[in-house]
Amino acid sequence: MKPLLESILARRLVICVGPGGVGKTTSSAMFGLSAAGAGRAVDVMTIDPAPRLLDALGLDTASNAPQAVDLNGLAARRGGRMRAMRLDPKHTFDRIVASYAPSAVARDAILENRIYRNLSAALAGIADYMAIERLLELHEQGGADLIVLDTPPAAEAMEFLDAPRRLLEFLNSRAVTLLGASGSMLRGGISLVDLAARAVLSAFDRVTGLHLLRDVQGFVRGFDGMYPGFADRAARAQALLRDKSCIAIIVTTAEPGRSAQVRSFVDGLTATGVAIGAVLVNRVSPALPRPVGARRSDVASAIRRKLGANLADFRALKRREVGALAAIREIVPEGVPLIIAPDLGHEPRRLSDLIEIGRRLKPA
Amino acid sequence: MALPRLIFVTGKGGTGKSTIAAALALAFAQRGRCLLASLDGRASAAQMLDFGQGGESVARRTSKVPEPLTLDRRTELEAFIGRIVPMRAIANRMLRSRTFGYVTAAVPGLEAFLLMERMRTIAGDAALNNYHVVADAPASGNALEMLSVAGGVRGLAPLGVLNRIANGVEALLTDSRRFGVLVTATPDELSVLEALDIARRLDELHIAPIAMLLNCAVDSMFEASELEALRKLDGHHQLAVRRRELARRTDTARRRLKSAGVDLIELPMLFCAELHGRELSSLARRLGDTLLANEAAA
Repeated sequence: MKPLLESILARRLVICVGPGGVGKTTSSAMFGLSAAGAGRAVDVMTIDPAPRLLDALGLDTASNAPQAVDLNGLAARRGGRMRAMRLDPKHTFDRIVASYAPSAVARDAILENRIYRNLSAALAGIADYMAIERLLELHEQGGADLIVLDTPPAAEAMEFLDAPRRLLEFLNSRAVTLLGASGSMLRGGISLVDLAARAVLSAFDRVTGLHLLRDVQGFVRGFDGMYPGFADRAARAQALLRDKSCIAIIVTTAEPGRSAQVRSFVDGLTATGVAIGAVLVNRVSPALPRPVGARRSDVASAIRRKLGANLADFRALKRREVGALAAIREIVPEGVPLIIAPDLGHEPRRLSDLIEIGRRLKPA
Repeated sequence: MALPRLIFVTGKGGTGKSTIAAALALAFAQRGRCLLASLDGRASAAQMLDFGQGGESVARRTSKVPEPLTLDRRTELEAFIGRIVPMRAIANRMLRSRTFGYVTAAVPGLEAFLLMERMRTIAGDAALNNYHVVADAPASGNALEMLSVAGGVRGLAPLGVLNRIANGVEALLTDSRRFGVLVTATPDELSVLEALDIARRLDELHIAPIAMLLNCAVDSMFEASELEALRKLDGHHQLAVRRRELARRTDTARRRLKSAGVDLIELPMLFCAELHGRELSSLARRLGDTLLANEAAA
């Protein structure tokens, strides 16, 4: 497995994607530690790590600042280091708005706008976009040999990698024209159809009592002048994701229903032009023992019965797992390795647990 | 105490919400009329009742099955626009317009809100006609958005149609005879933390939780003393240790979930390769014995 792991970790950027609850964050940390152990400078960006994982990494649960992971006892090669940071979408968005706003007044108008406040706090798409933004920031700072990005659990598989394009599209759309933007954002004139739609929207606004239009206009106008900056960043982020040095690892578990989810990630990544480095199946249970022979006289019959019952239970679970794994195998595109990570039988509690998972990766 | 008319089943993804919703609806249906509502537009819970291949479907085992009902956000939004924009052509144009899409996207939770309004009318009908509704709700994050959106919309719209609807939805949510939430978890630590988080948020929203449901509970089967004697049977020793580890996690989860001060009910881990009608019926029986023990037969 070593060459495979090494070829993954030789990249500059590894993105772990996958459905919720499959151990994406654990895998991100595992990849990061393996690379740091091999002497590389690694930044790992996580979204919402479990308290226990933070404990395992020896990190402060409350902080969002980059924190160095203590690699003592890992016997990491020279130059190996790992920093972990948590992503705070709201904070990142605010900072970007602040850095592109032409003036302090423009900045405050945006930050205090009702639509912006709701957008940045409530829309999942914004968190996705911010993860990509932060990635670009880290990449351009250039402090690390490898950046590992853990992604938010995506309901719609590829919303995440598509986020820069969607934000651009919004800022560049007819909506923006329609809602009364001016200057650099105005693309072409306003048609009669647009005027009619605008009248309907105002009626909607009055009936519902939302009085949103004014805020939407304020939001859109606020972005006037920031558009070129945003467009440029989004384009750079897109280019980064499609670069040869970037791969995505699809993380999953061998449970019923996962194959359909894996398929949607495979399709989404292919459509966005991001290379798939591997499909990683987490928490695969160890092989089962043979039944205790009926003639073994040193095992009491009561215990033998229990052992039989226990084995039967785990065999049923194993059949479920084998079926799910076979279904996933069908989905994995040709040339993409399918990798299995063992179930340790407990949640990772120490750095050494994560290292052990890395060491015990094997092809399926 | 009788269960509310509408039971909203939520929890972390992967805790078995759809299975539990289907089993609970089945238990109700054995006693009277029940609707099984899927809020994801995909009817995953209803599909549980009719496994096609490989196993016996519940529908073939018993005639008393819940009636499926599939709801989704988009349909509710369309119905709402249809109501407030009386001219169909204009309503359609509005729905198709991308601009409108952006406006609705910018009102966080407008669609979720309209789905809650639909829940309100369904719960009202269930009370009037004496039946129950089990809603297979989305995972915690989205579910909490649905449950808290009415307050947010009221803040955004101090007057008008949406404000009136918001009042109606909040009245439903805080009426424990009409509405209650069943929170699902498994022994997995994160799912327990999420369940406790939901319980806290429900408390803040003055919404009554019906119970915390610990799914996939495992018993330890082996005593610690027996484990010692198994050391010579290496593979079996490991398997017994795995069993005890699952049981230990179950215990920890049980203790933590109890700390929420809400009733705790348990369903066992089903050691089977696939879930069929037989397994679902056995879960339904268990839920019937615990949750529905006090329900008057209809």
